[in-house]
Amino acid sequence: MKILYEHIISFLEEKPSIEDISEKLFQLGHENEVSNDIIDIEFTPNRGDCLSAYGIARDLGVFYKFNHWLDIHNSNIEPLKIDFTNNCPKDCPFIIFLNIEIDGEIKKYQPYIEDYFQNLGVKKNNFFTDMSNYLAYEIGQPTHCYDFDKINNEIEFNNVELDFEFETLLGKKIKLTNNNCIFSSNGTPINLAGIMGDKSTSCSKDTNNALIECAYFNPESIIGKALKYDLNSDASYKFERGVNPEFLNIAIRRFIKIVSEHVNISKINIYKKSYEDLIKKVLDFDVSIINKILGVNISEDLYAKYIDMLGFALTNDKKIIVPSHRHDIKHQNDMAEEVARIIGYNNIEIKDFIPLAKDKLPEPLPADESIKNFLVKNGFSEVINAPFSKHESSQAMQIDNPLDSNKNFFRTSLKDSIVDNLVFNENRQQDSIKLFEIADIYTKNNIVNYEKFLCLAISGRVSNNYENFSKKLDKKYLNDLFKNAGMDLDLDLIKKISRDGLKTKQKNEIYCLEIKIDDLPKPPLISYPNVKSDKPFFKYKKISDFPSSTRDISFLLNDETLISELENILLNFKSENLKEAFVFDFYKKDPNNIKIGFRFIFQSRFSTLKISDVDEEMINIINASKRIAGIEIPGL
Amino acid sequence: MSNGNEIKPLLIKDIGSVHPINQTKSYLLSLLSSYGFTSIEGPEIETEEFNFDMLNIKKTHPARQMHDTFYVENKSFLLRTHTSPVQIRAMTLNQPPFSYSSGGKVYRKDDDSTHLPMFHQVEGIHVDKEVNFAQLKDLIYKIIFELFGTDTKIRFRPSYFPFTEPSAEVDILSNNGKWLEILGCGIVNPLVIENCKISPIKYSGLAFGLGVERIAMLKYGVDDIRDFYKSNLDFLKQF
Repeated sequence: MKILYEHIISFLEEKPSIEDISEKLFQLGHENEVSNDIIDIEFTPNRGDCLSAYGIARDLGVFYKFNHWLDIHNSNIEPLKIDFTNNCPKDCPFIIFLNIEIDGEIKKYQPYIEDYFQNLGVKKNNFFTDMSNYLAYEIGQPTHCYDFDKINNEIEFNNVELDFEFETLLGKKIKLTNNNCIFSSNGTPINLAGIMGDKSTSCSKDTNNALIECAYFNPESIIGKALKYDLNSDASYKFERGVNPEFLNIAIRRFIKIVSEHVNISKINIYKKSYEDLIKKVLDFDVSIINKILGVNISEDLYAKYIDMLGFALTNDKKIIVPSHRHDIKHQNDMAEEVARIIGYNNIEIKDFIPLAKDKLPEPLPADESIKNFLVKNGFSEVINAPFSKHESSQAMQIDNPLDSNKNFFRTSLKDSIVDNLVFNENRQQDSIKLFEIADIYTKNNIVNYEKFLCLAISGRVSNNYENFSKKLDKKYLNDLFKNAGMDLDLDLIKKISRDGLKTKQKNEIYCLEIKIDDLPKPPLISYPNVKSDKPFFKYKKISDFPSSTRDISFLLNDETLISELENILLNFKSENLKEAFVFDFYKKDPNNIKIGFRFIFQSRFSTLKISDVDEEMINIINASKRIAGIEIPGL
Repeated sequence: MSNGNEIKPLLIKDIGSVHPINQTKSYLLSLLSSYGFTSIEGPEIETEEFNFDMLNIKKTHPARQMHDTFYVENKSFLLRTHTSPVQIRAMTLNQPPFSYSSGGKVYRKDDDSTHLPMFHQVEGIHVDKEVNFAQLKDLIYKIIFELFGTDTKIRFRPSYFPFTEPSAEVDILSNNGKWLEILGCGIVNPLVIENCKISPIKYSGLAFGLGVERIAMLKYGVDDIRDFYKSNLDFLKQF
C-alpha cells in the first residue's frame, strides 16, 4: 500500500524523516520501500488495522507521539428514516447509513486530498466516491456511496444463494453464483457487500443526494469473493483483514467534515444499528510470561510502559484491555510479539540453544542415500519431476484445480516423465543418457496409499571412455549392473520403451526399470558413500542452449610413455568453447605402435558455432600436440 | 598414464549426480541433525486437518483458497503446502522433549519465472520446557553462519505465520548490499501445541522453515529456479 509521508506525519506530533519512518516500520514488521515522498508498505495479513495513514501512524505511536485527533463533524445529526432490514446480522453486525444532500458548486479539492489523487496516481471519479476513497485511505474505513435518488427508501441485507448477472459500478459484468452477502433494493441486488456496488445505483458527477453506507462485515463472510469475481476492490481487501467496528461513527463524521470542506451541505440524516455488543478482549498483565516467551528480563514497570506506548489500556486490577482495532491480539504470545517489536527483534540478546542429547533421540529413518550413491557412482544422474500427469486410471488421484487442465491426475508411474527427460537430452545431442528418479507414488484404493519407487531410464553409449564407447546401454547392461552389486533383478522389470510418439530423431534403444524401493532384491545394497561429499557447494557453470559440434582426431604414438604427455596437453586444453574432451579409442599393438583417438565437443554459450570457428579451435589443438616428438596424425 | 603395470590412457569414470536440490536438502537435514534434530518423513497428499487446521490456519486464510492450494478428489485431500504437517503428525504421537526436521516436496498453485507449483522445504521444530525466542535466534544464527559464513550480516524482521507467535523472517545481507530473505521462524503458537495434545503451559517450542531452492540458488549461483527442473544433463552433471 502506498502512503504519502506527509499524511503519516500529519498524525504524529514529532516530525521524523521519511528514512527514520522507513526504518521504524521495518522494526515493526512492515516491509517498505521509499520513493520520493511515498512509502510503499507491505503489510502482513493480520494487520488490517494498519491499512491507512491513520493506522500506520498509530502503529508508529510506539516510537513517536501519535496524535489521534481527527477533525470530524461534531454536531448532532437527526435520525434517518430508512426501511432497512438486516437478515444476516452475523455477517454485518454494525452498520450506519448517512443521507447527505449538497447544493452549490463543489470547490477545488483541499491540498491534502489533491495530493492523494495526484501523488499516488489515484483516478478521480465523482465527488462522493472521491471523498469515500480518500476516507478509506486516510482512516481505513471503506464506505459505499449510493445515489439516493436512484434507490427507493428500502434496503435489505442478505447472505443468499444467487444466480444473477451484476454490473459493477466500474461497468464489469459478473455472474453472481452460490452464497453472497448482498444489499438489495426492491428485491434487486444493488451492492456486493464489502466489495463493490452496482452501476445502476452508484453516484455520478450529477449526484447531489447520496446515501453513504458505513459497515463492519465479518471477514469470513467476505473473504475470497473479490478474487472469485476477479474484482480489484480496496474495500474487500480492508474488510477481509478486519476494520474497526468501534470506528464507524467517527468515520462517518469524518466523511461529513471532509465533504463540508468542499461544498455546502443542505441536509444530513443518520441511521445507526448494532446487532451485537462490542466485547473488548482482556488479557492478564503478567510480565513473567512475556520474559519466558522471549527469553528476556524486562521489569513490570517497563512492560506497563510498553502497553501504554501500544495504546492498550491497563486496569487497576492488572488486566490489559485490547483496543478494538487489534483483531490480531488474542493471547500472551501476541503480547510477547508486541514487546519484541518495540524492543526490536535484532536487539533481543541470544541465549544458547541446547540441542537435545543424542541418546534420547529416536533412531534415524532409513534413507535412500545408498541406492542413490550406487547409481551416481555408475554414471546415473538424478532428476526430479512434478507429479502431474494426463493419464487417468482407476487408481490415479484427481486434482480438482490443476494448473494445466491436461495434467489433472497424480502420476501412478515415474516412467513417462523420466522418458520425457531422456528425450529432452537426446535432442540436446547427449549420446550417453543414464537417469534415475526416486519418488513416492500415490494411489487410491478406498484410502490413499503411497510407496517409494525407483525408476531408471537409459539410452546410447555405456559411457564416453574408450572401454565403453562402443558398448550400448541395454537390458544386459542394467541386469549386469545390479548383478555385480549382488542383486539379481527380475529381467521382466526392464522394459524396452517404444519410440512411437516420442519427439526425437535418435534411434538408440531406450530401456526403463521401475521398481518399488522395498522390492529391490535382497541383500540390500551395501552403503555407497556420497562420491561428491567433499565439495557440497560450488558455483555452477551456466549451460548453453546452442548446439554443439563434435570433432574426432586420431594419433599414432611410437612410444607408450608419450600417452601421458599427450593426454596432459589435450585433456587440459584451455578454450572457452571446448565443452568436453575425452579418449574414445585406444589400441596398443605393441609399446611402440599405439593408436589413440580423442573426441572434442565444442559449444558456445552465446551463439551457434560456425564450422570455421571449430576448425580454428582444432588447428590450435593440433599445433599443441605437434610439440611432442614421436606423435603423428594419420592423414595430416 | 599408468593403470596398474600397463601404460594406458586415463580411464575416466562416468560419474553421475544426485540432484542439486536433493543434495542441498540432505545437507540441510544433516546440518540440523548436528543440532539434535531427527529427520522424519510424511505424505505429500495430506488432509486439511493436518495441513491447515492443526496449524491454526483458519478456514478464511487466503492460503486455503482454491487459487493457492491444490485440492484432490473433491477436496477430500490436498497437496501439502508445507512440510509442517509431517511435524504435526509426529507431535501427535510423541511427548516432548523432541526436535524434528522434515524435508521434501511441497505444492502451491503458482507458476511463473520465480515460483514453481512444486518446490522443496526443510523445516525444523523443537519443543521442550522453556524454549524461547532468544534461543531461536541462537539456532538461526548457527544455521546461517554454517551456510553462509560467520561474517554474514543477519536481520530479523517481525512477520506473520498463523502457526508461530512471535514470528520472524530472517534476511542476510548480500554482496550487492541488498537484504535477501532466507527463512521464516518463530515461537510455536501455543494453540498448535495444544492441538497436538501437548500442554502449552508446560512446553513451548521454536520452529523454522527454509526454501531449499532458494538456498541452492544462492549456494550454487543458479539464477533461474526453472533450471533445476529441466533435467538437462549438462546442468545436472555439474553437481
